[in-house]
Amino acid sequence: MSTQDADQWQILSPYLDQALSLSDEERAHWLLSLDEDDSGLAAQLRELLDEHRAAEQEGFLKTGPGWNAGPNLTGQTIGAYQLISPIGQGGMGSLWLAERSDGRFERRCALKFLNIALVGHIGEERFKREGTILARLSHPNIAELVDAGVSPSGQPYLVLEYVEGEHIDQYCDNHRLGVEARIRLFLETLLAVAHAHANLIVHRDLKPSNVIVRKDGTVKLLDFGIAKLLADQGGPAEATELTLEGGRALTPHFAAPEQLTGATITTATDVYALGVLLCVLLTGQHPAGSAPRSPADLVKATVEMESPRLSDLVMSVGSRATAEKRATTSEKLRRLFRGDLDTIVNKTLKKDPQERYASVTAFADDLRRFLRHEMISARPDTMAYRARKFVRRNRTTVVLSTLALIAAIGGVAGTLIQAQTARTQRDLAFRERDRATRITDFMTGMFKVSDPNENAAKDVTAREILDKASEDINTGLEKDPEVRAQMMHAMGNVYTNLGLYERAQSLLERAIEVNRAARGTWDPETLSTMDTLGGTLVQQGRYAEAEKIQRGALEGQRRILGPEHPDTLVTMGDLAGTLALEGRLEESEKLGREVLEKQRRVLGAENRHTIVSMDTLAATLGLEGRLVESQRLEGETIDLERRLYGPDHLGTLMSMANQADTLYLMGKYAEARQLLQQTFDIQRRVLAANHPETARTIYNLGCVAARSGKSDEAFSLLGQAIDHLSPRTVPKVDNDPDLNSLHGDPRFAKLVAHAARRHVSEARCPL
Amino acid sequence: MESTLSSLIAASEKGDRSATEALFSTLYSELHRLAKQELARHGVAVTLSVTTLLHEAYLDMAARDGPSFPDQARFMGYAARVMRGLIIDHARSRQAQKRGGLFEITSLGSEPAENAIDDRELSRISDALDKLAEVEPFLAEVVDLKFFCGFSFAEIAGMRNLSERTVQRMWEKARIYLHRQLRNSSV
Repeated sequence: MSTQDADQWQILSPYLDQALSLSDEERAHWLLSLDEDDSGLAAQLRELLDEHRAAEQEGFLKTGPGWNAGPNLTGQTIGAYQLISPIGQGGMGSLWLAERSDGRFERRCALKFLNIALVGHIGEERFKREGTILARLSHPNIAELVDAGVSPSGQPYLVLEYVEGEHIDQYCDNHRLGVEARIRLFLETLLAVAHAHANLIVHRDLKPSNVIVRKDGTVKLLDFGIAKLLADQGGPAEATELTLEGGRALTPHFAAPEQLTGATITTATDVYALGVLLCVLLTGQHPAGSAPRSPADLVKATVEMESPRLSDLVMSVGSRATAEKRATTSEKLRRLFRGDLDTIVNKTLKKDPQERYASVTAFADDLRRFLRHEMISARPDTMAYRARKFVRRNRTTVVLSTLALIAAIGGVAGTLIQAQTARTQRDLAFRERDRATRITDFMTGMFKVSDPNENAAKDVTAREILDKASEDINTGLEKDPEVRAQMMHAMGNVYTNLGLYERAQSLLERAIEVNRAARGTWDPETLSTMDTLGGTLVQQGRYAEAEKIQRGALEGQRRILGPEHPDTLVTMGDLAGTLALEGRLEESEKLGREVLEKQRRVLGAENRHTIVSMDTLAATLGLEGRLVESQRLEGETIDLERRLYGPDHLGTLMSMANQADTLYLMGKYAEARQLLQQTFDIQRRVLAANHPETARTIYNLGCVAARSGKSDEAFSLLGQAIDHLSPRTVPKVDNDPDLNSLHGDPRFAKLVAHAARRHVSEARCPL
Repeated sequence: MESTLSSLIAASEKGDRSATEALFSTLYSELHRLAKQELARHGVAVTLSVTTLLHEAYLDMAARDGPSFPDQARFMGYAARVMRGLIIDHARSRQAQKRGGLFEITSLGSEPAENAIDDRELSRISDALDKLAEVEPFLAEVVDLKFFCGFSFAEIAGMRNLSERTVQRMWEKARIYLHRQLRNSSV
């Protein structure tokens, strides 16, 4: 181009930008109006736009160069097949169009050479045998495997049904398919995968280029089971290298975490890849976002990072183009994805294969339910985040002071003695006196925490007394296992209230063990301790374990104590709370209402257990999105608690924290903030500085600050909170929808890393 | 390799022309070596993706060069230009020798083979691209990244901190320029 041309280009360039950003129709109008201003310019632009059209029609620069090793194979004969022309290229090898050289069949087929670096030089026999198994996979949506063999030069190849068409993602975009049509097409893919799974064949390498849509609109899956064929070759000595190679070949874009970490591959692996595929079809983006990544980064993201929600992905860069290709707008897409589709895709992309859909069919069922506007089976993750913000209270709320401690532990002993002496049987009298002495001895021992000779001036804290007592109880009171178990139970309660859940757990487990040995599995004390243990597990976020143990306790109590016994009702109420945290809200609400009704009748409306059940039910209603009902019930609860126990009581504080969250969900940020601040001020006074409940309040205050646009304050609060929360209950910050407004801030990444480190440190430390 | 790529890039960005030359020649030989190595590993009838090669080159060099190595986006800017040189040189040498050489340039992806560009065309595209680089260097860079190195619009947008739409528009403009240039020069 001459200098003159270059100058001219410089002038035209900005106009060209404008022209190219308009639609055809807009462009025509725009050019017409430009004609009036500068007809010469308009003519030149038209010329360049014609150039564009020509380039487009020719497919100019559409296909870039790649590097091919070795000689051209066109025309060569491999086995019974003659190579016609190369069709394409994948990580696993190159693909050729071929036909039978002996002319026995007319049909054309695709011949795939497998990458030698992946398979090595392998035995022909074995390869053919594996191939035969795959060849039996017969389904209208699966491309048939016709033959398998090894070329004279030692390169293994597969002969496949030749499928002409477009990759599913390109097909959807080129036909501007709407979301529903995309899902229907995707469902056809699921049918094929389900068929293969039923035949015990896992695909392992599902990605758009392996899902072809033919001109007639039928879906054909390619390369079924071939990844396994590759992975299984070679002896164990080569395994490491092969795994590495396998990871590379299996395009990390669609690989599930377990494929990258070398864990067991199951049908859930395909579920994951299908989830990524659905995400790409719906949003045009990979769940890890569209930013460029090295394979290493991608692997890291797949294995470690939580996937974002569809509805958020669709709002990122290029969303308008994405929406246009789906014949809608990005805002409409976002609204459509939010909720059920977010939840469905999220469930397929779980890091833990067990948390994904149990089968491709279950996945397909949920998609069909979505299309029919029915309730889906997957529970939203946001629920779990919300749930973490709600406070589950423990039944015995004791604010720790030395006095309270004595009351808690001594009280147990006292009641026990009274109960026993009430029976006043002569033959027991001596034993009872012995028991009283033993308890007194033990309790006196509790206070000998520091050696007066060594450290006379030191104040003994209640915590030290408790720590010593919980040590002593392991060996002490051996002759009286019942008292020992009850003491352990009481101390477990105190530890739970202190937020020291692991210590509580081990004490309670021990208490159950001791009591079981002494009085049997069906003893009411054993059962009640089981329920308490469940509560401690809940505090640690171990909901499934908690549910199991509480159900066990409930079953026993119903049988031994009866369905309306106060203990039975307590456990029922606790179970309702656990179910709510697991996201099983309907069940929880039903159970919660039943408990509340019974407790009001049996125990009275002002009984502390009744009040706890009110709080639990209010929280559940909040999680169900029934905010007005929740707010009303929680309000009643708080009024009762303030009147009966005072404003500083832990139970009152927990109800306040829950109420604040409901207000937050209602969008009443100022009120939420005020209530949280009030809660925090009291917690700071009555609880230890690093108590998890206090940390939770701080976290929630951080969310309110984020929502109110006060990002400095938010980051400072969230950082503090994460330091003090117990690791399992640290929210997954990067996926917490309440923090969406912070995503653009560079400090956010640090916060995510901070939270992740807390999770990791938990994962490493043994329980 | 002792004067590290990091230091060469730093010097080059300060306007040291000899550093720029050294940088490009170092990158050239590195990428060449890597390509040879990869091709040897893969065997018959396998086409290597340039993108994969570049990613690996980056990981490889960054690991050797240490923490001062530039981020991937900056690296790709340099490497893409060098990669084009490597591809073109190879295409030209093949034209000269007719056959043989280390590797063969073919089309990439699952496009039908008819769309494959021949070596001569590739060479002409590169010449036109050199001219474009004088007029609008950013457009030329997009072509290097997209056409020669196989990066997607989204990836390029991420590297250059632009919207995907902008990158796509830049690409279309570049295509117009190159198409016209090629048509004119063939007449």
